[in-house]
Amino acid sequence: MDHLISMFIDNELNMEEKIKYIEMVHQDKSFKDKSIALLQLEQRLRSDVTDRVPEAVLPSEKRKPFSWLRPVGYMVPAAAVTAAILLFLLMPAKITTTPHRFVIHRPDVKKVEIAGSFTQWQKVPLKRVGTTGYWEITLELPHGEHQFSYIFEDRLRVADPTILTLEKDDFGGENSILRIGV
Amino acid sequence: MKKYKEFYIQHKDQLFGYLMRMTGDYYLAGDLMQESFKRHIEHYGDKEPQKTLLYTIARNAFFDHHRESKRSVKFDDNPGDRSNDGEHTILVRSEYQEVLTAMNELEPGEREILTLVISSDFSYREIASVVGISEANVKVKVHRARLALKKILTVGEK
Repeated sequence: MDHLISMFIDNELNMEEKIKYIEMVHQDKSFKDKSIALLQLEQRLRSDVTDRVPEAVLPSEKRKPFSWLRPVGYMVPAAAVTAAILLFLLMPAKITTTPHRFVIHRPDVKKVEIAGSFTQWQKVPLKRVGTTGYWEITLELPHGEHQFSYIFEDRLRVADPTILTLEKDDFGGENSILRIGV
Repeated sequence: MKKYKEFYIQHKDQLFGYLMRMTGDYYLAGDLMQESFKRHIEHYGDKEPQKTLLYTIARNAFFDHHRESKRSVKFDDNPGDRSNDGEHTILVRSEYQEVLTAMNELEPGEREILTLVISSDFSYREIASVVGISEANVKVKVHRARLALKKILTVGEK
């Protein structure tokens, strides 16, 4: 019946066993002494091993910005709607934004779009600047850090060559990192 | 991710205590804790985080390391000597050094069960699921481990 001591320590006794345990503590001195000794041992075992616990580095949440490259057309609108609802619910305060002009020189293509964290990774077309070969768009960006890239003719995706800070995404591509107001 | 961070904050100290008691090595316990949370979030990050699953992963990480190192897990009487980095002086409390040394003398199975009981607040049923033995076997092994440890410490104190 010795194992009742451990079950008592570990809060594993049912009502019947609790009665049995109390009876044994009262009737059997060696059982009582063993109980006290094991409880004292337990107190020692459960004390802190160290004074300081190191921190683990959690892997960051995976972003899947280019899920629109897969044949799942409903994902982007659903994500955009969800993001919009969350934004509305979670951020009732006025969001500070700053207009930012994106410019890229690509005279050899017929279509340029931008997709980034500020568009919920939806593609937004840039406008051609006359016959200069430049493309541009001005967007209101919330303050903070953003990732984005350009898409040429629906197939080729590249980071902004004028921004040195890059981040690899989950699809083998690279996004530019843009900090606004920070 | 926010939910997982809360889960991490809630369980990291206990998990580290478990790994510390299993390995007796501050730095190895830290590495295994890192590996456990990493595996847990990478494989099950999209699900509701589960404590029993975290400990199962930690236990597997410990055994993976054990297999890879092909060394018996021994507690270093003076682990501070391993640290060349002043910022990371070893922090095993002097009162606990003796306990860890004694735990190292237990049968591996007994040490593991006792360590789980002490470090996790799991029920015998949950421990049985983590270790993969019956609840009745947990009950027997836990008590046997406590008696063995008491005997080792009593001899050491004489």
